[in-house]
Amino acid sequence: MDLILLGFQTLADPMVIAMLLLGVFAGMLVGSIPGINDNIAFAVFIPFSFSMPPEQALALMVGVYCAAATGGAIPAIVIKVPGTASSLLTAEDGNAMARKGAAGRALSIAITSSVVGGVLSSLVLLFFAPSLAKVALKFGYVENFALAILGLSSVVGLLRGNIIKGAIAALIGLLIATIGFSPMTGGARYTFDNVNLIEGIPFVPLLVGLFGIAAMLDLKAELLKSRAENAAPVALPNIGSLKLPRALLRRLAPVWWISALIGNLIGMLPGAGMLMAIFLAYNQAAGRYRRLFAGKPGEPEWGQGAPEGVAAPETANNAVTASSMVPLLSLGIPGNSTSALFIGALALHGMVPGPLLFTQHGNIAWMIIVAFLAANIVLWPVAWLVLRTVSQYVFSIRKEAMVGVIALLCLMGAYSDGGNLFNMWVAVAAGLVAYVMRLANIPLGPAILGLVLGPQLETSLHNSLSISQGSWGVFFNVSEHPISAGMMFVSVLLWILPALLGLRERVRANKGGQKT
Amino acid sequence: MKIVTLTATLAVLLTTPLFAQTYPERDIDLVVPFDAGGSGDVTSRIIAETANTLLDGAKINVVNRAGGGGVVGQTFVSKAKPDGYTILAMTSSVVTNPQMKGAPYEVSDFRPVALYNLDPEVIAVPQSSPYQTAEEFLAAAKDKKMNVVVAGIATSHHMSGLAIERVTDITFNYIPTKGFGAQVQAIAGGHADAALWPLGEAAGQAGNGGGVRILAIASEERNEAFPDVPTFEEVGIDIPIWATFRGWAVPKGTPDEVVKTLSDLMKSVYDTPEYIEKMDAAGYGAVYRDAEGFSFVVDSYAAQTSVIIEEAGLGQ
Repeated sequence: MDLILLGFQTLADPMVIAMLLLGVFAGMLVGSIPGINDNIAFAVFIPFSFSMPPEQALALMVGVYCAAATGGAIPAIVIKVPGTASSLLTAEDGNAMARKGAAGRALSIAITSSVVGGVLSSLVLLFFAPSLAKVALKFGYVENFALAILGLSSVVGLLRGNIIKGAIAALIGLLIATIGFSPMTGGARYTFDNVNLIEGIPFVPLLVGLFGIAAMLDLKAELLKSRAENAAPVALPNIGSLKLPRALLRRLAPVWWISALIGNLIGMLPGAGMLMAIFLAYNQAAGRYRRLFAGKPGEPEWGQGAPEGVAAPETANNAVTASSMVPLLSLGIPGNSTSALFIGALALHGMVPGPLLFTQHGNIAWMIIVAFLAANIVLWPVAWLVLRTVSQYVFSIRKEAMVGVIALLCLMGAYSDGGNLFNMWVAVAAGLVAYVMRLANIPLGPAILGLVLGPQLETSLHNSLSISQGSWGVFFNVSEHPISAGMMFVSVLLWILPALLGLRERVRANKGGQKT
Repeated sequence: MKIVTLTATLAVLLTTPLFAQTYPERDIDLVVPFDAGGSGDVTSRIIAETANTLLDGAKINVVNRAGGGGVVGQTFVSKAKPDGYTILAMTSSVVTNPQMKGAPYEVSDFRPVALYNLDPEVIAVPQSSPYQTAEEFLAAAKDKKMNVVVAGIATSHHMSGLAIERVTDITFNYIPTKGFGAQVQAIAGGHADAALWPLGEAAGQAGNGGGVRILAIASEERNEAFPDVPTFEEVGIDIPIWATFRGWAVPKGTPDEVVKTLSDLMKSVYDTPEYIEKMDAAGYGAVYRDAEGFSFVVDSYAAQTSVIIEEAGLGQ
């Protein structure tokens, strides 16, 4: 308890608080601009942080990290362009709500869900970090493989009637993930002797292209089409009231709990990250929605503006932020690529995350933890401020101008990740590919998941089998690898449940047909 | 014609000492071929900070040029003008990248300037491992093929394992795992038998409360921070030293005077107590070798690795 107080004391310094607020504000902006994400913001910021006191630098980073996950929802809802990869799913139901005139409500759900997810995750970090870190250690190669399988299986539920195209998308993602030098053989794969591809396709520019550039192409096509038809361009939705009725809050509460739980679990497991958390939470919420609300009067189809479709992913992605610091702070193992950047920021100030951090730099370690709590609490007022000021201006810009500006920002963002010109080509190419995929109606989600999980899938399978001397049974061995066996079981359920339910419906329909 | 040659020679003779006196007359780019926040970046920024308090009228700017596992930035410096205004934060991967990754430069395209960090290889086991000492581990490894975590096949750590195999009658089963965090997870969680790691990173995980135990260090003398951990030679592994290194290098053709100025600058940085403190705190023991000493380290590493690469058929 004394130590937690020490953390609050360090945070209470006016400059540190100011930096935290600045971070939340900046993160909200960074998140809400398609083509720029927290990784890029950190890549630009970390060198500057060298000349700042460590507590100020880290408070700012915590603010950016938490708020970027929220900010991404703003353009996702208003213009159907996810600001960050983590708001990919929010764009579906969120934008559908906005088009029905409920933009304010969708935004409000997104922000409130973020705060709920973020605060719960901060509390987990504050009180359970050491004991949960031990859980993370239980994940070996076998468990990591099962986790990757579970992640890939999570998209099945989202692909009703589109299984083949979904599978094609996932395979495209997995294939792209094999580019680069294989850690298993040391040999090159599909690098075409291009030194830029030695480590695979650079990931951040790839995301920038898939989301930012592709969305710009989409917007531009829409503009051209409306001009050709001489129709008035679709006006941007008015944000309107942010108030949430009490009944809706009560209805969303279970979704918040479940999604926060999923986000927290995935967050503290190294290597999984926000994308997997949002897919699992979204999938879970979809099942619940179809059971309880779908088909009732006044309730839209899933994906057509269901409030749960905004609440679930937005809770889950913020729940990943603080929980991804659990293994990082206590073990030095980053939960995802963004939290990995904290290692660099700490190292610049002579601190090594891991078991020694709490004894050697207790004030900083606890400051980071309480900063997560503080950042998630100030998220609401800052989000409100950004929506009422900056976003109003941004969305009043003519769409033609917006297309150019965002495209430019995307290219700059891609370049600033490592300062390599090649990254800009990656962003452009990824954007074109994503655009073509959209035209062909191939979903992007499974491809991204394949891309993210590919390396983990491959190395953990190789290493599990190498250690087990070729026995595939390890993944289902209940006594030695119960976690893996459990996850495999759930994965199988995810595959066969939709089929079983479909079968039941058909049987029921047949019976009904016989009676009449 | 003769007059032209003469004037040219004179001009060179006249300007060379002048050049030495005026260098550096503008800012110097220190190219880090990795992303901000990595070990190469952190050490470079600590050095630049101290160096900039010593330099007058010019300063060192750290420039990140990441991509291709370092090859992009390394290639950039190999092609830069050899005037001393572009320095490479050189790591041992420069030695092996041409052969292993098809990098379009040769080690000889660089002139070593000064060495500032040597990171010896260690054998680490889980805290829960039954092997308390290196001798126990090595004895057991003769009967059972140990699962040894390395950063990847054909990395310097994999090669250090192959080097151990060469001088003992042990064979390891290598478990390639990318990223130090994931490797710690495998070892601290007891999912593999041992790991081959650089000391700098392993040190943060060993000792009080850490999840790993260091059994032996591949350096000539025992490490000050780990006085109880024996060297490789002490436990019967005939490898006096296996260490990755960090230093400064400039494109070949850079004038001697410039190399000397930079090498002396690094010496002055090394003589600053705050610098040593900062490097220690970040987990990188600071050392200093001048251009000649650094060249020797580079050459010995090249000799050590080329044998392994050839024998194991690792080259591309």
